[in-house]
Amino acid sequence: MNHSNLVETENLTKVYASGKIKVVALENVNLSVEPGEFLGVTGPSGSGKSTLMNLLGGLDTPSAGRIRVQGRFISELNKYELALYRRHQVGMIFQSFNIISSYTALENVAFPLLFAGVPKKNRNQRAAEILTVVGLSARKDHRPSELSGGEQQRVAIARALINQPKILLADEPTGNLDSGTSAQIVQTLANLNKNHHLTVIMISHEESLQQKFADRVIRLCDGKIVEEQ
Amino acid sequence: MRISDYIEQSFSNLWKKKLRTFLTTCGVAIGIGALVSMISFGKGIQKNITDTFTELELFNYITVSSASGEDQMAEHSDESEKKENQAEPIHVLNEEFIQKVTKINGVQSAFPEIRFPALIRFEQEEKFSLVQVLPSNVCRSELVKLRAGKSYESDQQDSLIVSDSFLHSMKIKEPEAVIGQTIEISTLTFDLSLFDLTNAVSVLQGTKLPFSKQSYTFTIVGVAERMGFAGPMPLRSDVFIPPAASEKMEKLSLTSIWDFFQTLEQTKGYSAVNVRLRSAKYIEPVKAQIEDWGFKTFALVDQLHEIKTGFIFMDMFLFAVGMIAITVASLGIINTMVMSILERYRDIGIMKAVGATDKDVKRIFFFESGAIGFWGGVFGLALGWVVSIVINLVINYFLAKQGVPYVNYFSFPWWLCLGAIAFSILISLAAGIYPASRAARVDPVVALRHD
Repeated sequence: MNHSNLVETENLTKVYASGKIKVVALENVNLSVEPGEFLGVTGPSGSGKSTLMNLLGGLDTPSAGRIRVQGRFISELNKYELALYRRHQVGMIFQSFNIISSYTALENVAFPLLFAGVPKKNRNQRAAEILTVVGLSARKDHRPSELSGGEQQRVAIARALINQPKILLADEPTGNLDSGTSAQIVQTLANLNKNHHLTVIMISHEESLQQKFADRVIRLCDGKIVEEQ
Repeated sequence: MRISDYIEQSFSNLWKKKLRTFLTTCGVAIGIGALVSMISFGKGIQKNITDTFTELELFNYITVSSASGEDQMAEHSDESEKKENQAEPIHVLNEEFIQKVTKINGVQSAFPEIRFPALIRFEQEEKFSLVQVLPSNVCRSELVKLRAGKSYESDQQDSLIVSDSFLHSMKIKEPEAVIGQTIEISTLTFDLSLFDLTNAVSVLQGTKLPFSKQSYTFTIVGVAERMGFAGPMPLRSDVFIPPAASEKMEKLSLTSIWDFFQTLEQTKGYSAVNVRLRSAKYIEPVKAQIEDWGFKTFALVDQLHEIKTGFIFMDMFLFAVGMIAITVASLGIINTMVMSILERYRDIGIMKAVGATDKDVKRIFFFESGAIGFWGGVFGLALGWVVSIVINLVINYFLAKQGVPYVNYFSFPWWLCLGAIAFSILISLAAGIYPASRAARVDPVVALRHD
């Protein structure tokens, strides 16, 4: 393994067991991501893209192989350590935004700081700052139902960035958005990548966006990397 | 997470589901209310009894009775035992005994229990009652709780004290109204003038007994509260007069049919003597001394242990009844929390995705259960208090019709108030164990995909 890489996987394998049937979602994936890189991940449905994202985000654990992030093998962490990893080192955004409908934009963005034990005043202050970065300062008191899809995704991006992670994992962030909004969201991620030296790993079906913004694109098929550009 | 955040989160989450939270909290409040009113009733009864006993200094009294008499007759109905008793020396409770007993260390005073039947006439009402002779010093002690007026100043006065229940039976509602008024006491006397030959046959048939009545006038100086407890208490009548006034009266001191069966020796003495001690610590040595002399003793303090055991059983029974309501309320909390988890399944996934540990998630749901318990406890306490006031008013309303003075049958000591809230929180937390553990076990990958 190369210690200069921010993220590295070694023979990463994930097998789901559904009764007696075993489904191999990822098989011996070897991947490395450098600091500040914008990596695009593409592939057909069921190719293992989301499984890869969940493993890198510490939401799931591999069946075999190892994952190293910033020199630490996260595949060997226990549940508590994985929670701390998710809290401090990685930010995640999803296709369905996954923001809490009963919270305002500000409360959603400040939410991760709650678990970090940050006082309410500081939480709100930092959340307001991040919302300004993503261009939503005027909408901070609005609930998700009062925001457009693009605005909701930007709230999700702000929430992912609140703990100042090194890596941003985006799982189909444009899947529920129109093409214009999709371009804006990916542009936002690209800006964060360039201006804040944030490492971005983005899953997307939209190859045109990948080609335009990503430094490198890998294609997954049947749980294996089949192409790298 | 900070404790203040857990509290804020729990209240905020519960507030979002107002109706469900309200209904669940109502369930807990009813359970706690039932428990609180049950326990406070038990404690109220205990407090009333022990407070009254202490206030009247009843724990400082020993009632002495001779080893023969009606009690003994009742206890020893067996023929052979009767014969044995007859063989024993008769111990008489007389002035000599009173003089002797007052010299025992710890004894403050002693007075005989003298009671006789009389016809009491006040205004137009007449009533048969037992009149008790009570020395003025006893009358002025804590034993006699006056509702109006004062006790008689000396043993010489032609004054008396009546009980409030006696006035009630005479349909007099204001005790103050009778103070200073006169009352007539008619006693039964043996009249030899009626016992002539012309009457002999009637007397033998029991139709024209040689009794006549003598009337005496007294002034009511005080109205005492009727002691609501049965048993060998120092006060057992509704009318109390001073000893000197009693001595001047001609009367037959027959209080029951057993008096006719007493031997000449037995009728010489008093039926009982009440011994007042300086404090309850002298009970045992004084009792031992009196029993050595061959008398029977009774001290209320001896019954205290049995009374306390009875209270414990009563408490346990009331607690068990209250716990049924609490158990039902706990099931309500479990149901509410499980519903909440199902509704917030995706939110739990989000929490975990942004860095919440299993412990954080568990605590969030724990605090929500605890918050339901807290409000349920507070409202339950208020509910129990209101219910107890209503029940108390209803009970006193009906008892007042029978002349019983107002009594608070419920007691809310501070530990019951705090304990009810603490217990409610504890029960709610226990009910929250399963839902909280279930929430902590939620797989974030599955939860984030959940619609």
